[in-house]
Amino acid sequence: MAVVQDVHGHHDHHPSGIMRWVTTTNHKDIGTMYLWFSFAMFLVGGFLAMGIRAELFMPGIQILEPELFNSFTTLHGLIMVFGAIMPAFVGLANWQVPLMIGAPDMAFARMNNWSFWLLPVAGMLLVSSFFVPGGAAAGGWTFYPPLSAQGGMGVDMMIFAVHILGASSIMGAINIITTILNMRAPGMTLMKMPMFVWTWLITAYLLVLVMPVLAGTVTMLLTDRHFGTSFFNAAGGGDPVLFQHIFWFFGHPEVYIMILPAFGIVSEIIPTFSRKPLFGYSSMVYATASIAILSCIVWAHHMFTVGMPTVGQLFFMYATMLIAVPTGVKVFNWTATMWRGSMTFETPMLFAIGFIFLFVIGGFSGVICAIVPIDIQVQDTYYVIAHFHYVLVSGALFAIFGAVYYWLPKWCGRMYDVKLANMHFWLSMIFFNVAFFVQHFLGLAGMPRRIPDYSLQFADFNMISSIGAFGFGLTQLFFLYIVIKCIRGGEKAADRPWEGGNTLEWTLPSPAPYHTFETPPVIK
Amino acid sequence: MNNTEQPAEKASAMQVAKAVFWSFLGIRKKDDLDRDAKMIKPHQVVIGGLIGGVIFVLSILTLVKVVTS
Repeated sequence: MAVVQDVHGHHDHHPSGIMRWVTTTNHKDIGTMYLWFSFAMFLVGGFLAMGIRAELFMPGIQILEPELFNSFTTLHGLIMVFGAIMPAFVGLANWQVPLMIGAPDMAFARMNNWSFWLLPVAGMLLVSSFFVPGGAAAGGWTFYPPLSAQGGMGVDMMIFAVHILGASSIMGAINIITTILNMRAPGMTLMKMPMFVWTWLITAYLLVLVMPVLAGTVTMLLTDRHFGTSFFNAAGGGDPVLFQHIFWFFGHPEVYIMILPAFGIVSEIIPTFSRKPLFGYSSMVYATASIAILSCIVWAHHMFTVGMPTVGQLFFMYATMLIAVPTGVKVFNWTATMWRGSMTFETPMLFAIGFIFLFVIGGFSGVICAIVPIDIQVQDTYYVIAHFHYVLVSGALFAIFGAVYYWLPKWCGRMYDVKLANMHFWLSMIFFNVAFFVQHFLGLAGMPRRIPDYSLQFADFNMISSIGAFGFGLTQLFFLYIVIKCIRGGEKAADRPWEGGNTLEWTLPSPAPYHTFETPPVIK
Repeated sequence: MNNTEQPAEKASAMQVAKAVFWSFLGIRKKDDLDRDAKMIKPHQVVIGGLIGGVIFVLSILTLVKVVTS
């Protein structure tokens, strides 16, 4: 991409101390805060995961009482989805979208600050709910009634946390849409935008579509709990299955909200390290839009076992299986991009290839779950746990790691220790598979999810899974060490540390100055 | 928007339908794409996409009806 850029006129003065972070409207500061917040929540969610796996290390109840175990699984899911993965992607968007489209900042800079500062409040509500009478919510991250109609104050705290997180996400999405549509540099037409920007544009529309649905659902739950309504209460004429339909109308697009930006990241990394343009750029854009549309008409595949006419089951089964088509187009395009490329295997590329390899496994087990007669067998078993961890951990999380290793030199102006970073990848790869691959076998053998104890025949695989999970957890502390070591004393990074990087951010100095593209670059 | 290129002529309904159909599959020939990008306006794609979505849902429903009848 040919670029003409005015590099003069930067002024790097900004408030210092704590007030810099509280009052900042700078997209880079806010992006940094999003990323640190999401990592902190990742550690909290990871701690809960370690508790779950410690309890499941052996049969019998050792560490967690059943009620507390249920709270651990519930909060693990909620914190990882709403506190770790989603804010991490918004953080990446904050940093990268303006840099990649040649904009000076996000469109609504003050709202951006507010979007971020809502998050710690919601995070504190979720974490502190463990310490209130009755404990934290324990009805699963999907908080189905009647369980969620029964819990104590912890459930209300969770409802408010979801409200706040939803408001933050909607504001973030509006900001991203407006920035992309109105603030692109001259000459950057929609079809010249980097794929990460495209995937985020489509994700932001999905967020605006479904987050209000979630807000409505939890509000109905709240009024059922405290204001005498009976939306989901059969005794009052309501229907608990209604909750499941509305929840999953939000919940399934939510899955794609967590994976589309990951597709965008991988679509940036693979061409860079293959030293070739992305194969089938336009079909990637089409496939992303297609996946987003399909994601809105498949929700009931999460609830085949609750009772549904055969026509409904078949409809949702066929529609779900069809998502494999545009997803397959993407996997094909990534592979074709690498084909005969001058490939090198720096850390971001390792994570991107790891992503493709493991995401395909998760995708295929998803197609298996889409088949109604099989789903009825594996519903609520560890097979489903294995499936969605392959999509969300080795999918979304690996892409986030790849993105951090790809852009960290640009963010902090220093290069990380590549040997350690590669070790982080291989340890993550090995321990992830040790932890989650065996869960397929547990699920097929019939081990139910969300139980603190299990029959003896599941003992060996559970022990292996727990060892893998502990290893994976410790490896992520190693990631923290690598990042801090890089920030505090890494080698000076070049402006364009990856020779194949052709997007706009690589035209800037490293670290990226506090204010960038005050004079828009001209794309030719 | 910063796209300064003006569409040369208005795209026909059939051309929009074709573009939407291929987008559902996720692939498109380069020449056709370039022609689409010049001629089709964003609002045409959105309307075409919505109609395409309805047709898509109705086709799956029809298939389901045939299978279950």
